[in-house]
Amino acid sequence: MSDPLDSRKPKDLPTGSGLALALLYGLFAIAASARALVQITRDFSDAPVAYSLSALAAAVYIIATAALLKRAHRVALFAVAFEMLGVLVVGSLSLLHPEYFPRATVWSGFGAGYGWLPLLLPILGLAWLRYNWNRGPHGPESN
Amino acid sequence: MHFILTWAVFTVTAVVLGWSSFRAIRNEPVILKQLWVALAAEVLLLAQAVLAAVLLLGEKHAVDGPLFWGYQVTILLFLPIAGLVAFAERTKWSSVVLAGAAITVAVLQWRLGVIWG
Repeated sequence: MSDPLDSRKPKDLPTGSGLALALLYGLFAIAASARALVQITRDFSDAPVAYSLSALAAAVYIIATAALLKRAHRVALFAVAFEMLGVLVVGSLSLLHPEYFPRATVWSGFGAGYGWLPLLLPILGLAWLRYNWNRGPHGPESN
Repeated sequence: MHFILTWAVFTVTAVVLGWSSFRAIRNEPVILKQLWVALAAEVLLLAQAVLAAVLLLGEKHAVDGPLFWGYQVTILLFLPIAGLVAFAERTKWSSVVLAGAAITVAVLQWRLGVIWG
């Protein structure tokens, strides 16, 4: 008898650095989702733009985590590139125009509230995807 | 309540962090003895959750409930996940993951102390 669980063998998951990167993204998916949930349910009207950006950041981290775990490298590339753009744009705007952000988001000040990891994370992600591009089951070599 | 427990958690997670970083640098995976130390940290975190529940139910202390329990439940997840990774991933990357879990637990424990007040 084959059980649905049998098809989810650990070998389907990434290994080594890919697993570590996916878990790091998972950590930020949790952190950003929790932050967005608290902000939006408690006082959304205080800073709708900042809080919407928190929710967007959470969604991007969740997509990146899922894509890395499923080794869908093309989806991961879109998510990580968008994340890079987001942290650079929101980080710059939060310093140049702090009045747009009466409340902080994960990406404010280039992620200063999280030890600048939100800035480091997409750099790590892009470097990892570049280095591992032809090794995943969904890389361009499958075209 | 958090003072002694917080420093106990900091001490044990510092041991886990130092030991797993050392093994990661030497290209070695997590070994079972490290998981026993991680388990000790997890037991401290569980004891803290029980103690917090008792103090809050007895109305000896007031906190921002959802925020506190959000952190208190989340902090329990990281070491068991790193433990599962240690069994599945027999390379230095299990050491990297355990070191990351130890840092995360320490940061969340610090936040919990601030929230507790």
